[in-house]
Amino acid sequence: MINNPSHPKKGHLKSKECRFEKAGFVYIDYKEVETLKRFLNDQGKILPRRVTGTSAKFQRQLSRAVRRARFLGLLPYVAENVR
Amino acid sequence: MSTNFYEITYIINPVLEEDQFKETVTQVTSLIEGSGGKIDEMDEWGIQRLEYEMDGKNNGYYVNGYFHAPAAAIEQIERQLRINDNILRYLTLKFDSRMHKHYELKKRGELPTLFEETEEEQED
Repeated sequence: MINNPSHPKKGHLKSKECRFEKAGFVYIDYKEVETLKRFLNDQGKILPRRVTGTSAKFQRQLSRAVRRARFLGLLPYVAENVR
Repeated sequence: MSTNFYEITYIINPVLEEDQFKETVTQVTSLIEGSGGKIDEMDEWGIQRLEYEMDGKNNGYYVNGYFHAPAAAIEQIERQLRINDNILRYLTLKFDSRMHKHYELKKRGELPTLFEETEEEQED
């Protein structure tokens, strides 16, 4: 399918790119809770790379930032509505 | 002595009186300075809701700061924070080069954001 330009599904495939790299991030700060929240699902889990398109480098930084934010009570370990 | 740059965030028990917050912050500040550190910035976020219950509390008084200190001082500072009953939780981070860059950008107010509007400025 990838090599076939006339494949019907081809048009739906979006090329993913890392949002952090695109925006020129150097470090993901655990204090930027609003940024981090965009990479969590409604249960408060970190979204996988295959969904968000984040590069491996920034996914590692992201998960570290999320874990720090969780430790300090800035983000939930388990979101309220699920508990 | 060589010093490193650190970031500290701690949460004070919200049940205390207003002047006790000030007192605790002063205590921590003098603790850092007393062990050879130099405060760069201390920012009190005030009382914020915690996302989950911590020691039976739903709120916390957040303090976030940056300071220079020798590596040996951190052990002392963390020990005192652990002993202090008014402090629910603390996090000290040693800065690496990436965090330094981030901090400089933040000071100049040039932090990149994920939103579309600012992306053009980040191109070069």
